[in-house]
Amino acid sequence: MDVAHAAAWTAVLAVGAALFVGTYAVGVLDEVVRQAVRGGGVRVGSALTLPWRRAALLLLQERVGTERPDAVLWALAPALYGGLAAAGLTIIPLSSTLVVADFPAAIVLWGALEALALVAVYLHGWAPNSVFPLVGGYRFVAQATSYELLSMFVLIAVALPAQSLALTDIVRAQDGVWNAVRHPPALPLWIVVTLGVSFWGPLNLPDGNDLAGGTAAEVSGSQRLVWALARAAMLIAFSAMGATALLGGWLGPWLPGPVWVAVKTLALLVVVVALGHLLPRVRVERFVFLAWTVLLPLAFVDLLVAGLEALR
Amino acid sequence: VAVGLLRRLAACAPVPVFPAISAGARDLVQDLQVLPEIDLVSTPRHATVLLVAGWIPSALARPLAQVHDQVPAPRATVWWMSEPAPHVRTLELPPITVTASDDVASAIMQAHRALLAGERRTEPTLLPHEPPAPWKGVGPYGQGGEGMMGGKPYGRPMPMTHPDRDGLELDQLSLTIGPFFPPFPPGLALDVALQGDVVQKAVPAVNPFVDGMQRQTGSIFTAALRTEVPLAEVELARARHHLRWVAHALRVQGLPALAARVVGLSQRLGRTSVPAVRRLRWLLSLNPLLRSALRGVGVIDRDRLDTIGSGPVARAAGLARDVRLDDPVYADLGFQAVTHHDGDCWARLLQRLAEAEQALELARIGERSMLRRDRVESPWGEQSASGSSAASLLALLPALLAGIEWGDAVTAVVSLDLDLEQAAASAPVEVG
Repeated sequence: MDVAHAAAWTAVLAVGAALFVGTYAVGVLDEVVRQAVRGGGVRVGSALTLPWRRAALLLLQERVGTERPDAVLWALAPALYGGLAAAGLTIIPLSSTLVVADFPAAIVLWGALEALALVAVYLHGWAPNSVFPLVGGYRFVAQATSYELLSMFVLIAVALPAQSLALTDIVRAQDGVWNAVRHPPALPLWIVVTLGVSFWGPLNLPDGNDLAGGTAAEVSGSQRLVWALARAAMLIAFSAMGATALLGGWLGPWLPGPVWVAVKTLALLVVVVALGHLLPRVRVERFVFLAWTVLLPLAFVDLLVAGLEALR
Repeated sequence: VAVGLLRRLAACAPVPVFPAISAGARDLVQDLQVLPEIDLVSTPRHATVLLVAGWIPSALARPLAQVHDQVPAPRATVWWMSEPAPHVRTLELPPITVTASDDVASAIMQAHRALLAGERRTEPTLLPHEPPAPWKGVGPYGQGGEGMMGGKPYGRPMPMTHPDRDGLELDQLSLTIGPFFPPFPPGLALDVALQGDVVQKAVPAVNPFVDGMQRQTGSIFTAALRTEVPLAEVELARARHHLRWVAHALRVQGLPALAARVVGLSQRLGRTSVPAVRRLRWLLSLNPLLRSALRGVGVIDRDRLDTIGSGPVARAAGLARDVRLDDPVYADLGFQAVTHHDGDCWARLLQRLAEAEQALELARIGERSMLRRDRVESPWGEQSASGSSAASLLALLPALLAGIEWGDAVTAVVSLDLDLEQAAASAPVEVG
């Protein structure tokens, strides 16, 4: 095997391992927060095994079909969504040298992934040929078109001081002060984007219980497991991106770089998962209104400030 | 070996249960939320156990069979306080029946484990795998109407375009939601026309409990019409009911863990729970996102509520009507009706939280008083021997839901705290 091949395999293994550990962590964290909010004490042992037990049950369950579904797209949509999350993780640097793809235009790639996430979720709702999933798909389109510009503005604002679209340069530019500190609105905005793209907690509109599970209403068995894993993977990808672009990535004292990336990603995950259990579902209309009239101008001001700073 | 390990792991998973809730079982099913071994799911596709809770009137038999067939294999049905349907009894599989006094949670877990251990076969489908009506289509996709659209393949209308609220031409999807849709009150089915996420039309289907022979066994509120009951018990029951409603509303708003906490509180509720309820009220009333999710949603004007009499929905719109206002016993306790003014879902939440706290206060200071009245203020409104105001709230639905988004429609339906059994018991009211 030549060097390029070996490197490619290492990369695949690294991303696979990150997804495996990450999705498991999301499952455990979610259960711990749920138990804490519900009261009656947290049983860590049960939370640690819960993701395995749930996954085992889903693997043994039948995959039910619907009447005249678009079977190919129905199977591909979760794979596409999860694949986008995995592709996103490949550009996250774990240290100044340790990165699967040190892509010079990483920010642009990220924007493309986000846009395709819209397609994946919409197809997941459209393919089963059923009303609730379809309405869930519609909702995601409304939601995604509202948060996507926010995300792009936040990312461009962190690229400006680094004078580069590469994530390694963006992390290096945070030596001294993190972007989250330099641009105070950036982190809250990024949390909104993370909740939105993985439709978690208050922004779980496409898969909400008022739609009996929305795009996942007709999904059962292994197909549902893949969908749940893909959503958790997206949550990890966006938390990792937040940790890298806003919280200084691998930078930090004492500990090695990759550990810092993991710690910061986990910290963001905890915040997002906790918000999921504490905030109620936002109304679709209210979210779209808020995103375009409040959050977007805020993101624009953030970008303006970053631009003026860069000109100085 | 791998499959054996999977089966053992899966048997220990929290049991995903889809509850098909019918007459008189709403509170009992809600209690299952506090158990970590049970996971109440929002679609039958996510369940292994179908829990049929409460007596099923004949009108609900077919919808129940449809729900049953949606549950993926391996599946089992647990009949709780209900008679297994005749076609189920003829199966080789003995139906799992549980009475009101039995431990339903352990029956559910046993069924789940037996399924995964292979000790119990999965239940076969109940309905034949065939279309509900003949094909009757023309052309390659059977559309049979004009151009690409129209027609009624398999008896269901194809979505045709209609102008929406913004003047755009959009597909209109017609469907029936209910009678086992978890956010809705048991038995409520709405015939809905949706354009995207917007409800064009929503009409309640015929109340399935109307032709029923069995009636609700009765609450303490109906008991107070016949015999003397302690006032404290009446007020405690009111507080408990309102808290259970709050828990349900929180669950529908996507907060299941918080909802389970409130269910736990309602189970432990006593005369000393005033501080806990006050804390909950304070916590929820200060939550800006909850406020924004409920404010301005499901507004009902005072004028339209004029005919429905008393109850929290009327009081949340500023109508200070309460049977207790004319009652000397309550007057001695210094009772005054709490009201709110906006008449929306947020006002109804604050109203019920305030009334729960007030009821606990009354239960504490009126410990010795007894009640027996011709008219009682139940948690839904005035209750007398001739009926309650529950039926008139149902009639408000079509006007309330038309033109709003589906998520808001669900919120609005929940906020009315409808009870179809009571509506059926009250009077032969035609709905729909």
